[in-house]
Formats: sequence, structure tokens, C-alpha cells
Amino acid sequence: MNMPTFTRDAAVRLILARLARFGQELGQPALAMADEQTRLFGEASPLDSIGLVTLMSDLEGDIHKACGVWVTIADEKAMSRLTSPFRRVGLLADHIVELVAATRV
Amino acid sequence: MSVWFKQRLQDCGPALAMQGPWGDCTYADLARLQAAVRIDLQALALDGPAVFALVGEHEPAAVAWLFALAEAGHSVAPLAGNLAEHPGKLGEIGAQWIVTSAGFGWTLLPRMSEPSAHAAFGQLRTQGHAGLVLFSSGTSGRPKVMVQDLTVLLSTYQDRRRNHLPVLALLGFDHIGGLNTLFGALATGSTLVVPADRSAAVVAAAIAQYQVAVLPASPTFLNLLLVSGEHQTHDLSSLRVITYGTEPMPPGLLSRLRTAFPRVRFIQTFGTSETGIIRTESPDADSTFIRFVDPSTEWKVVDDELWLRSLTQVGGYLDTRDGAGKFTSDGWFRTGDKVELGPEGTLRILGRLGEVINVGGEKLMPAEVESVILNLPLVLDCRVRGEANALVGQAVVADVVAAAAADHEQLRAAIRNACRRALAAHKVPTRVRFVAAVSGERLKKIR
Repeated sequence: MNMPTFTRDAAVRLILARLARFGQELGQPALAMADEQTRLFGEASPLDSIGLVTLMSDLEGDIHKACGVWVTIADEKAMSRLTSPFRRVGLLADHIVELVAATRV
Repeated sequence: MSVWFKQRLQDCGPALAMQGPWGDCTYADLARLQAAVRIDLQALALDGPAVFALVGEHEPAAVAWLFALAEAGHSVAPLAGNLAEHPGKLGEIGAQWIVTSAGFGWTLLPRMSEPSAHAAFGQLRTQGHAGLVLFSSGTSGRPKVMVQDLTVLLSTYQDRRRNHLPVLALLGFDHIGGLNTLFGALATGSTLVVPADRSAAVVAAAIAQYQVAVLPASPTFLNLLLVSGEHQTHDLSSLRVITYGTEPMPPGLLSRLRTAFPRVRFIQTFGTSETGIIRTESPDADSTFIRFVDPSTEWKVVDDELWLRSLTQVGGYLDTRDGAGKFTSDGWFRTGDKVELGPEGTLRILGRLGEVINVGGEKLMPAEVESVILNLPLVLDCRVRGEANALVGQAVVADVVAAAAADHEQLRAAIRNACRRALAAHKVPTRVRFVAAVSGERLKKIR
């Protein structure tokens, strides 16, 4: 089946929308102000490790809704990258676009 | 008081015993705090050993109380983490007194007047020994309570040689691993460094600020340290040794850590609340196999499960129903850890048998999470399980049968928030899936 490409812009929008919803859930409205440069994990990040895992899990559901495929965002490839895709929104978007593309080869 | 602790308080006076968000605390400060605690204890005019709950983290007042209570032959239950879990724990043990510590200060409150009737405390009383109460997750949703002989446990640190390698406290004050770090640091006369929280950023900053040499950590914490990149933004060159335990180490992670910290020695540790920490060695730095080298512990593998028998072993659980099948009549403890035998008497921890979920080294039973979720009005049924996760080892997944009227997105947030209020952070489901039915029976929703 020929599926339209999942663009980087779409991935960024998906992540920002999920961050905003997650911010509502946690009572952290500042998460709705995130952008591509926002740190997801590490210094000055609003998320702890369990928050990060929760966000990834919700995003996997969002990706399934948007593209019809299930991906595992925290995979071995993500872990072994020199610059972790979990550091910033933009890096995570790049990683997600790659993951979705790999399901369509 | 344990002989070594008294000795260290005398020998190391001006040296730093602890450093943390509350400031610096020397061995002399600890001695003064302990003397003040003794006065508070004498003022209680107790006619025999009592059970004290000690609410706090690694901090000077909590440490002074722990050792003063041990010296006087009382039993102490360290309580840390989510406050919502404390009432249930206090109820299980029948604590007579509650001490709440904050930095160098404390408050002492009576809880009940009757001594705890549990047999385990009576046995310690007869021997004149102090007790250490530890909690683990129970299958029924209520905590499982065990009592260690604190006098015997402390005596195992007697022969530690002096060193000046600051150690970081990462595991909690209520965790056998966290207490082992504390006792180990003080027994060697070195400094325990306590970070303000356990995030990778704060821990990395504390390592750099206090020149920490020894970092006892879980593989999950080390993974998150690499993921966060904080090991590159802070100077961690003071680190000499990283010990890891509480969950299996993925070989790929060990290899990445060795690349990131080429000068650091990696040592695997092993312990359980039931048996205490066991001394081990690794065949080589790249190996995830270990060898037990502890004269006080025997081990064997039965049907792929590790069995241990040690001197620092608990007599059993406070509620004997919890111990059914865990201890054999000849004193072996069935750890529930699935292991693989390697060459030359080594073994490797593969994971948990049964239902225990291990999130970054902190364990839980599905039932305690299910009991919270089943209380929500729009939830008809639920099953909680663990799922492999590359960030934290295992993640908590809740399969939920929802009422037809439920908005899934809202209910998912409500479920997680209910768990955040009632449970420790690692027990909150990171994935909530809505399903038509769940298999098997554990807890039944009462309608």
C-alpha cells in the first residue's frame, strides 16, 4: 500500500501537541509552550525518566493514529546514537520520521 | 552501638561524613547529633525496645537516629518516597513512634502506646538486638514487611578499611542498597554525597562539585545519564568506580558505558532486602557475569532460580502468609531471580520469574497498581504487567476495560493521576491500553 510520507513538520506538530496534552495532565502548562529546541530530558527539562517513558508511549499511540503503523521509539538504535534523540524535540522528530520511513520500505 | 561506628566517630572527627543540600556534616557533627538523639530517647522513659518509623532521606538527623536506635536495641523502619504509601506501611508494622527528619533537625511524635505484638520483634528483644524493618511490594496490593537483625547487619561492616573516596547515595534511605551505600561510606571513614534529587543532571552536578569517586547506580540510571548527555556537560573525571545492580545489565549498555568512561572500573553488585548485600566479583570488566565471593552467603540454582542462604538474612516476613514458599525449611531464600550459569562458578542475572516488575531497579507487584486503578468509577476491569523498555528496563503497562461512556484520553490521564497520588513514581503506568477484556483473575472489582 502506498502511504503518504510522514514529514518532519508533521512529526514536530505531533510531539508538540502531545507535550501540551501531557502538560495538562501533569499540571505543567509550560509544556504547551515547547518548540523544536525544547529539552526533553536532562538539565532544565520538565520530565523525569518515568515522564519521558510515558511521553514516548503516548507518542507511539499518536503515530499509530496518524500513520497506521506501530513503532518503538526507544529502540536499541536510539539508545546507541551518539546524540540521543531524547534530548530535544527536533532530534526526536528526526528519529520518528526515520522510524516511520523504515516501516514502509 | 556498632564498634566500627563508634570508632569512626572518634577517629574521623573533623572529616566530612556527609555532604548534601542541607550543607556539610562532619563525623563530629554526627556524634553531637547522636548525643542529642540519646537525650530525646531517654526522655521517653521507655521500659523496653520499641518500633520507630523514621521518615526521611539520607541526611544527618536520619543517620543519627538510625544509629542511636540501633545502639539502644530498638527497631527502626526507614520510610522514604511517596508520603501516600506511608500510612499503609505504618499500619502494617505497628510503629509506636514516628521520627521525621529534615537535614540536621527532627520532630518526634507518638503514634500508639502499645508495643508491636509481632513475633519477629519479640525474638530480637530476647537477643537484645536492634531491628531494621524493610518493605517490598506484596502480591495482594499491601506492602510485604520483613525484619532484619540490624545488630548483625551492622557488624558485617566491621572490617572495612579506611579510604577517602567520596561515595554518592543514589538509592533511597529505605532501600537495602541505599543503606548499604550509607553503611559502606561511614565504615570506611569516607564521605557520603547526597544529591538534591536523583535526576541525571543533578547527580552529574553533584559528582563534579564534590569530586565523587564511587557511584553505586542501577543500569537504568546509567542509561539515562548517557541519554541526557549530562556526562559530557559536567566534569566527571573524579569517578573511579561505578557499581551497578538491582536489575540486569544489558551487554550493549555496558559497552557504551565503558566507551563513555574509559578510566572507570565497573563492578556488578547483588543483594536482596531478604538477604542483604552480597560481595561479588566480575570475571572481567566487559562481562555481565558475576561470582559470589562472600563467606557469609551460600548460593545454588534450582530450576533456573537463584537460591541464597546468608548470615544477614531476615527471619521471615511480619505476616507469615507473605513468606509462603519464599523460604525453605532449611533456611534457603528463593530470590525469584532467573539466572544463567557461566564458566568457573559465575552466573548472570536474566530477570525476574513471576509477576514482579522491575522499573529501573525499583520493584513492584501488579496488584498494588491494579487496586488503585480499579477504584476509578469508569474502570470495569484491569490487569497490570511489565513490558521490556530500552530506557528503564521494564515499564508498567495497564490493560484497562473501560465503561462505554468513557473518553479514553481523559480516562488515561485520570488513571495515571490517581496512581501518581497514591503510589511511588516508578509504579505509575507509562502505558494505558484500552482493551475489550482482560485474561485471568487477580483482583476483582467490587460493584
